[in-house]
Amino acid sequence: MTNAAGALVAEATTTGEAVPPRPRRSRARWAAVAFVAPLLVYLVVFYAFPLVQNVAMSVQRYDRGTFVSGGAPFVGLDIYREVIGQPKFWRIVGQTATFTLVSITFQYVIGLALAVFFHRSFKLSATLRAMFLVPWLLPVIVSATTWQWMMNPDNGAMNTLVGWFGIEPVWWLNAQHSLMSVTIANIWLGIPFNLVILYSGLQNIPTTLYEAAAIDGAGPWRRFWSITMPLLRPVTLVTLLLGLVYTIKVVDIIWIMTTGTGTSQTLATWSYGMAFGKGTSGVIQYSEASAVGSILLVIALAFGLIYVAVQRHEEG
Amino acid sequence: MATISARTAAGIGAVAAAGLLLTACSGGGGVATPGETGAASEGTTTAEITFWDPYPQREAGSDWDNLVKACAPEGSTITRTSAPQTDLFNQLTTAVKEGNAPDVVLLDNPLTPDAAASGLLATAEQAGIDTTGIDENLLGPGIVDGVTYGVPMGSNALALYYNKDILDAAGVDPASIKDWDSLNAAIEKVVASGSKGITFSGIAGEEGSFQFEPWFWGAGADFSDLASPEAISAGQLLSDWVGKGWAPRSALNDNQSASWDLFLTGEYGFAENGSWFAAAAADNEDFTVGMVPIPGKDGGLAPVPTGGEFAVAPLQSKDASDHYANAAAVIDCLVGGDNAAKTSETLGYLSANPEIRAAQVSSNDLWTPWVDIITGAQGRTTELGADYPAVSGKLSEAEQAALNAAGDAAAVETAFKDAAGS
Repeated sequence: MTNAAGALVAEATTTGEAVPPRPRRSRARWAAVAFVAPLLVYLVVFYAFPLVQNVAMSVQRYDRGTFVSGGAPFVGLDIYREVIGQPKFWRIVGQTATFTLVSITFQYVIGLALAVFFHRSFKLSATLRAMFLVPWLLPVIVSATTWQWMMNPDNGAMNTLVGWFGIEPVWWLNAQHSLMSVTIANIWLGIPFNLVILYSGLQNIPTTLYEAAAIDGAGPWRRFWSITMPLLRPVTLVTLLLGLVYTIKVVDIIWIMTTGTGTSQTLATWSYGMAFGKGTSGVIQYSEASAVGSILLVIALAFGLIYVAVQRHEEG
Repeated sequence: MATISARTAAGIGAVAAAGLLLTACSGGGGVATPGETGAASEGTTTAEITFWDPYPQREAGSDWDNLVKACAPEGSTITRTSAPQTDLFNQLTTAVKEGNAPDVVLLDNPLTPDAAASGLLATAEQAGIDTTGIDENLLGPGIVDGVTYGVPMGSNALALYYNKDILDAAGVDPASIKDWDSLNAAIEKVVASGSKGITFSGIAGEEGSFQFEPWFWGAGADFSDLASPEAISAGQLLSDWVGKGWAPRSALNDNQSASWDLFLTGEYGFAENGSWFAAAAADNEDFTVGMVPIPGKDGGLAPVPTGGEFAVAPLQSKDASDHYANAAAVIDCLVGGDNAAKTSETLGYLSANPEIRAAQVSSNDLWTPWVDIITGAQGRTTELGADYPAVSGKLSEAEQAALNAAGDAAAVETAFKDAAGS
């Protein structure tokens, strides 16, 4: 391979030196290729190659030995069949869907409410808005550990809090409740992102529209539903899509809080555990992890395409 | 001007394309497979020696760091890198694949059979590692198909620490703890006196399995049947502790450090934890800490899993003999002969060599109660070899579900049957 590469370089050099100037078009084409090349190289090395490698791993039966020495047998779609055939697969898909949809719904609604609230720019609004960004700035290891402490079933702050409302102490991180608990933490984590994007979207809505509506007698509710929401649609779409793609692949906060046990297991944490032999996966399962990873990728891609289709529909 | 820029651009494009080809190669079959040739006796030590261990908490300049670096042979320097157990193992896998493995790795003992079976390790004979005089139960995890792959760095074990102040106040005599019934009676008295019962680590994964195994084996269960009545009774014991409020519900997510921190609050009567905390326990100022071995279900000592790392030499593809010579020199300096005593003391381990261990105990009384526990300890991989991690994962699943059941006997039984069937 090195030889082939060397030959290529040599050929390129000689082409430039020896051959008399070619017609202008050919030269321009070379230049075009050259300008595109760095981007192409980047895309291939950092996107296409890992992607292909991931899919390749999921159709070969790898274990630690064959990973090192090579020679993992090609098994076609067997791994996918095994993964999907596991009794827990659909349960985990359901948990992933719940985690993702509940997270982005609450993140969006709370983020939008805060954005509208801060849009009125009262005194201290900038300071307060900055404080809402804290979850975004904290390292996840810090916030996830803090949530774990607060959700301690015996003496955590969360149980004190719900106790004030007469609710019995909750075992937040057990198998049954862990999905709810990690979702709560993840909502908190995602609010700043929604707030920032929606706030900037609000600033692009001309204030004259609101003024005109107010003169025509529209109340705040009417102005929100008839001006803010329709004009915020493109921003909303982007926010929801990005939120979805971010949320569906969340590993860190779940893993730190529960190591993906019980109902808090999602496709992403399941894949992570198998890829590194962590948690209850015990043994490393490269192929199964790649298969689940590929499934996740297809899901994210599907939503990406839906977004593109919706956007095209809007523009058309 | 136009000519030059077009030519330059073409050159850049060609170079980029060449880079692309090279990258594509390194992902494919371009990597040399590690050979099985080479022997320490045929090599000479090199100027740079790489050393990996799973002790990120022992920073540069710590006693351990100094001890390792002082083991560099004349004319060599040691570069030490640390990562948590599982990460270290995964990094080792990639490094051997890429042909740039370190000279010496300290690998957690239950991972060693998997590493050997996956073709990551040079044999002890190749790497010039001396294993004479090491206890059989401790050397066990390093032997795969009759071939030895490394030497234990020492051993640690689990026991029940207790808060003497709390036990005195509750009128519990630790010597009365001989089996599960007397242990339960003791915990009950402690809880009745107003304190909390016992802390342990039930976190998902190997760490939780490690802490569960003394109860599992102590009940008479073995890995061939995770759904045996003995196995279920061990799950029931811990599940009941959680259900009755004797153990914190956070045990489900606590690792061993977190569960030790809970014990150090002084609220708990007992704590299942490791000999690596023995020194900290002796130095504890807030209350007096004592220790009893973990009892078997019907009496006697429960076999605890052997803990600690193996010093191994990864398989090398280039200059193998030189790398093995490095490994031989460094490992011999750390655990060969009398050096083992100093290394064990630095790590807070007991030596894996009975003679050195005896000397260690006679000079440091702290270790006296641990000797019988270590001698009776059982290798986690003795029964299953490289298949252990998979079974350990299932055991961890069963334990997690049992703790979630908080005492519900039917749910505990289902937990173990599900895990055995999965």
